[in-house]
Amino acid sequence: MLDEVLKSVEVYLRHTPQGEFLRDAKWGWAIFESLHFLGMSMLLGTVGVFDLRLLGFAKRIPIAALHRLIPIGISGFVINMVTGFCFLSATPDQYLYNLAFRWKVTFIAIAGLNVMIFYARTFKRLLETAPGATPPIAARVAGAVSLVAWIGVMSAGRLLTFFRP
Amino acid sequence: MDPLFIWIETTPFSTWLRESPSLWVFPFVLILHTVGLAFFVGSNVAWDLRVLGFSVGIPLDALRRYFIVMWAGFWVNAVSGVLLLIAYPTKALTNPLFYIKLSLIALGIVLAVRIRREVLPTERSGEVPAIARTFAIASLVCWVAVIFAGRLLAYTCTRLTVECVC
Repeated sequence: MLDEVLKSVEVYLRHTPQGEFLRDAKWGWAIFESLHFLGMSMLLGTVGVFDLRLLGFAKRIPIAALHRLIPIGISGFVINMVTGFCFLSATPDQYLYNLAFRWKVTFIAIAGLNVMIFYARTFKRLLETAPGATPPIAARVAGAVSLVAWIGVMSAGRLLTFFRP
Repeated sequence: MDPLFIWIETTPFSTWLRESPSLWVFPFVLILHTVGLAFFVGSNVAWDLRVLGFSVGIPLDALRRYFIVMWAGFWVNAVSGVLLLIAYPTKALTNPLFYIKLSLIALGIVLAVRIRREVLPTERSGEVPAIARTFAIASLVCWVAVIFAGRLLAYTCTRLTVECVC
């Protein structure tokens, strides 16, 4: 059942315009990979830095001020979703049956769930903590989960080529 | 240079780095180099954005603590980079882009240190000097170039080892 679904997704993606573009463009893959690393640095440079602050690093920086960098991180994530979807479309067989890719998607899902819980339950309370005070436990947990999840995403991404089906 | 490359590539350590089937050897070094990059370049991006006025509420003096993150990322990448170099010396050292990448990293570090020196004394007034903004833009461009140079290394190499072409 799952195999049949994956197979039809594979065939569909392979013939999408973005898939054909990336397979044919000479420097396309190299440039998109560079953009993928750039998006990653934008994400870790803002969300990663924010996570460290949640864990109690550089406590004198006001949370609200540091949070203003987050849109840059979201832009990085969007760059990576777009370029990542193009990689997937170009050679779907290299990803859909790849254990490292499944790990990567899992870690992205954990990071996403963590963000939703953080904004729904923790963020408002966090903004009320004074600069210099230790963030509430829920915020520290959110920061730790986020850091672990993104490091997991990067590690699984790096392992993709070693788990080629 | 070939005799030097042959010497390095035939050492047991280089051979082990290249040929060990364990995910904890070569793939792990690659992971370290990637995670280190994210924190090294990432903390520089955060600094440059602050200097360019993206979030003036961040006290520069407190942001200074993120230099620890930047240097931690740098050292992780210096060590993992040397390991990658020991594994594939011919691949890197015969590629002109490799020297461009190293020069750009040196430039990026010089810019980061200069930016810090320019802005920290202005903390009280809150006015970031124009020269620091110029450096911050140059720094962002520089790190984008480092990432492109690093990634393109895999696509522009001509010799993988002394005996193999890429």
